[in-house]
Amino acid sequence: MNHSKAASIFNKDEKKVDWHDKALWFVRHKRDKAVHAVEGWESLRNYGHGIKAHTLSNLDNYLIQFEENALKNGVQVHWAADGDEHNKIVHSILKAHNAKKVVKSKSMLTEECHLNPFLEADGIEVIDTDLGERIVQLAKEPPSHIVLPAIHKTKEEVDELFQEHLGTKPSGGDPQYLTGEARKHLRKKFISADAAITGVNFAIADTGGFVVCTNEGNADMGAHLAPVHIACMGIEKLIPKQEHLGVFLRLLARSATGQPITTYSSHFKKPINGNKMHIVIVDNGRTEQLSRPDFRASLHCIRCGACMNTCPIYRRSGGHSYDATIPGPIGSILSPGKDLTKHSSLPFASTLCGSCSDVCPVKIDIHSQLYKWRQIITKETPQPFVKKASMKMMGKVFAKPMQFERVGKVARWSLRNLPKGVINSKPNVWGKERDLPSGPTESFDDWYKKRTENEQ
Amino acid sequence: MSSREHILSRAKANKPDLLELPNLDLNVFTDGRDLIKEFKTKIEVVGGNVVDVVTKENVISQVSSLFPNTKVNFSTLEGTQDFNTVSLEALNKPHELEDLDIMILESNIGVAENGALWLSDNQIPIRVLPFITKHLVLVLNKENIVPFMHQAYQKLSSNATDFGVFISGPSKTADIEQSLVIGAQGALSLTVFIY
Repeated sequence: MNHSKAASIFNKDEKKVDWHDKALWFVRHKRDKAVHAVEGWESLRNYGHGIKAHTLSNLDNYLIQFEENALKNGVQVHWAADGDEHNKIVHSILKAHNAKKVVKSKSMLTEECHLNPFLEADGIEVIDTDLGERIVQLAKEPPSHIVLPAIHKTKEEVDELFQEHLGTKPSGGDPQYLTGEARKHLRKKFISADAAITGVNFAIADTGGFVVCTNEGNADMGAHLAPVHIACMGIEKLIPKQEHLGVFLRLLARSATGQPITTYSSHFKKPINGNKMHIVIVDNGRTEQLSRPDFRASLHCIRCGACMNTCPIYRRSGGHSYDATIPGPIGSILSPGKDLTKHSSLPFASTLCGSCSDVCPVKIDIHSQLYKWRQIITKETPQPFVKKASMKMMGKVFAKPMQFERVGKVARWSLRNLPKGVINSKPNVWGKERDLPSGPTESFDDWYKKRTENEQ
Repeated sequence: MSSREHILSRAKANKPDLLELPNLDLNVFTDGRDLIKEFKTKIEVVGGNVVDVVTKENVISQVSSLFPNTKVNFSTLEGTQDFNTVSLEALNKPHELEDLDIMILESNIGVAENGALWLSDNQIPIRVLPFITKHLVLVLNKENIVPFMHQAYQKLSSNATDFGVFISGPSKTADIEQSLVIGAQGALSLTVFIY
C-alpha cells in the first residue's frame, strides 16, 4: 500500500489525527525551548555532523578498533551481514545459555530485523520493557514512532489492553495507575529473565564500550539482573572517542523530547563478574547506503525523532502509514535504499519544507535527499498513468511562457467565478477538506511589469 | 568470506575519502551561568529533589526524617552501619534486593547543564542497586559540579570504569498520551544532597 492510501486509513478518525498532530507539535515546541537555552547549539550540531562524517570515512578501521577493545574487555563480538544472520546469532546465544525468558529494551535494529517473531517461533518469551513498546507489543502492532512508540494509541485503548492482558481494573485510562501496574508486571519479568537484549545508542571505538539511553531505567533493570546481556548495534553507531559523547548526549535528548539529557545514560564496558556480555554488529544494508554519496549522510542519524515531530506530513498521517521500521522524514530517505519499489511513495510524503533538516541534531540534509530520491524513483519505478500524463502536460505548459500565461488567466478566473462545487470537485485533490483561495486578478508577471513601468 | 570480512571490506570499499575529525572548541559553549544554581534548577526540572546539608554526616538523619518507616535501607556512606538493614555480602543474588526502599550513594561528578550525576562501579557495590531501589539518594560535594558534559568526560578520561551511568532525575515515562508519570521501571524518586 502506498503512503497516501495508508495515511487515509489513519485520517478516518479526525479527532485522533488532531490530537496526534498537536501532541507532536508540543514535543517539537519543548525541543525548541531546550535548544534555545544552549549557548553554541549550532556549533554543537556542526560538531555532531563532523564527528559522524569523519567516523563514516574511516568506518572499517573504527570497527576493527572497537572489536579489539571489546574483546579485551571480555565481551564477545559477533558480525551479521543481514537481519536474518542477526536473528540467528541472537538465537544461538540464547540457546547456548538455555535462555527461555528474555527482556528487551528499545532497539529499532531488532525491530528492523524482526527479531521477536523469530525467537518466539522457537518458544522463547520476549518481553519489550519500554512502556510504549510493551503497549504496542500487547496490541500486536509495530511502534509508530522511534521515541514515542505508542503515540498513536489513546489512553482508553491502553486501558482496555491492560485489562485484557495484565488484568487491571477499568480506570478510564489513568496514566499514573496504568504505569504503576506496568511497573509491577515488568518487575516480575526483570526478576525472572534469563537474558537481556538492549540496543546501543553509541559505541566507542577507543574503549570498546557502548552507551544505552533510557528514561524508564528498563535497559539497566534488564541488563544488570540477567546473567546474559546481548547488545545489538548497526555499524553506524560508532564514534571514535568517549569524549565525543559530550557532544551527542547534549544533542540527543534535547532534540528528542526537550529534556536536557535522558534519565539514564548507561556506559557498559565489561560484564559483571560471572555474567556474559555479547555485542552483535549488524550491516543489513548500511554499507550499501554508505556507497551512495548523495545519501550516506543518512547514516549520521542518532534516532532522536525530531524530524518526525516537526514534519507536517508525519504529524497528520501517523507512523504506520510509512510501513517501515523507521517512519517519518529520516525513514523516507533510509527505506528506499533498502527496497526502492516497496518504499517508492515515501520520498513523496513530504512538502519539502525543510523543517526536518532544520531540527536535525547532526545536520542531515533530509529534505534535499528526499528530493534526490524522487528523481531516482521517477526514473526507475513505474509511475501512475495520471501522474505521468499530468506531469508531461505541466512540462509543456511551463515550457512556453505565452501558453503558461493563458492557462494562468483561465485558472485565476475560474477560482474567482466558478461555484465551489465545481472547484472542489472530485478530480481536484487540492480541494479535499479545504477551500482554495480566491484567484487574484493579475498574475505576478502583470504585477511586475506594472511596477517596473511605474518606476520609470 | 565470513560476515566480519564481508562487512569490513564493503565498509572500506564504500567509504568516502578520509574527512577530518573536528577539533572541539569548548569556549563557544560558555554561558556564564552560576554552576550550583543551574545544577539545582536542572535537578528540579527533571523531577528530582535537592537538599542542602552542611556536611555528609547530616545526610542520614535528614533521610530518616524525609523517608520515615522504611524497612530496607542501604548506604555506602562511611559510618552508616546502623542505617543499613541488609548486608550485601550475605546476598546470593541481587534479585533479593527487590524490596529495597532506600539506597544512598556518593557521586563524584555533577553536571550543571542537565542535573546529571555520575556513578560508576567504584561507587555502586552492585550494578542494579540505583535502579532497583524505590528511592535513590545521591550525595555530592558542590566542588564536583562541572558546567557541561564535555568537562564531565574530561574528568572521566583518566579513570577506566567497567560500568558507569549518568543519572538525571527519577525514572519516568510519558508513553501514555504524553502524560508525564514519575516512577517507571527504575527509582520512584531521586533526592540529591549537596554539601
